[in-house]
Amino acid sequence: MGLWQCPQFLFLIMGAVIILAILTTYAVAIKYQDPEIAALVVLVLAAALFLVGYLIVRSFEKVALASKSKSEFISIMSHQLRSPLSAIKWQLNMLLQGQSPANASQEYLETIMQQNERMIRSVNDLLEVNRIEDNDLILRPREFSLKELTSKIINEYKNYASAYNVRVAFKDGEELMKIFADEERLGRVIEHLLDNAIRYSTNGGNILINIEKQNDGKILWKITDEGRGIPSAEQRRVFEKYFRASDVTRFQTEGSGVGLFIAKSIIKQSGGEMGFSSQESKGSTFWFILPVKI
Amino acid sequence: MKKILFIEDEEALQRAMGDALEKAGYKLIKALDGEIGVSAALKEQPDLILLDLILPKKNGFEVLVELKKDPATKNIPVIVLTNLEGSSDVERALSLGAMTYLVKANYNLSDVLGKIELILNHHEK
Repeated sequence: MGLWQCPQFLFLIMGAVIILAILTTYAVAIKYQDPEIAALVVLVLAAALFLVGYLIVRSFEKVALASKSKSEFISIMSHQLRSPLSAIKWQLNMLLQGQSPANASQEYLETIMQQNERMIRSVNDLLEVNRIEDNDLILRPREFSLKELTSKIINEYKNYASAYNVRVAFKDGEELMKIFADEERLGRVIEHLLDNAIRYSTNGGNILINIEKQNDGKILWKITDEGRGIPSAEQRRVFEKYFRASDVTRFQTEGSGVGLFIAKSIIKQSGGEMGFSSQESKGSTFWFILPVKI
Repeated sequence: MKKILFIEDEEALQRAMGDALEKAGYKLIKALDGEIGVSAALKEQPDLILLDLILPKKNGFEVLVELKKDPATKNIPVIVLTNLEGSSDVERALSLGAMTYLVKANYNLSDVLGKIELILNHHEK
């Protein structure tokens, strides 16, 4: 946070301005007998005080907002970890008490494995946010096919998508679209975008993923959903860390609020750009553009 | 046989709870989202409802409001079973008429079953 947003510093400035104001008023009053000039000086100084006061209030609001999203984040994150934890706990309860029906043990163990995977992902996301903030995000680029990676991930999300009544279609260019980037991280970007598209398609619908080569040789990857979209008042904050949409959505979907923050940072670091367009209750389109070679 | 409606979108929790309730002699009715939850409560008239808060279609608070508004469902005891733990969430759920508020991760299945039994016995009298 900059110096001009720090309340303590602003108070110091305010103090200085007040002292200056008193001294100047005194000096002016002695030197000029004209009441108009004194009044004008006082007016100007009062305006300066107003400005500093305004800056102070604004900076306090900023501090309050930051701590609010942080505590919101902690409550969301603990929920993210607790969901798989409670599922694991209950299933272990059943396994340990030998109360599960004959063939269920295997299924329980498989689900426990999945839940465990989910927790590892949440923790990895947290660590990734930390790396991004410390400017310590080191990419390991190599050549791979964006098309194959996308197909693989769509396949992994097949069951998840059908649980939400969502059909995922993939329209790829004719070529294989080899690019040079960090495959694992790009995979995370695609997962975050697909996961969001599915989760916010609360009434089902279609999701279309598109890869195409642009005229400038860069590759455009695009995902369009028919979900609930993002209210225009909230669009500005979508890529903010810890940001999650308002109340109604918050209680209807899960998510930690770091996915898009991570995705955008990875794309930026890879020399590309990321953006979106969205219309409330119509759906959203998220896209990223990557150079073929960095 | 007593019927218990579990409104919860996590399949793994549904299954574990289903198996545990069945063993304890109850019948479980599953609802995987809020909308199905409300209509199942109306149709099946369960003896007790276990309600998650973060739910697709209709969230747990909305479900609670609708259940308590309808004379046909308003007397069915509701246990909120969630992993949210903000004090405002707890207060909101209780003021909307939930009987009790349990954090899933803090309770073993047998504890939840104990609570269910307690509320059902108490409710009968």
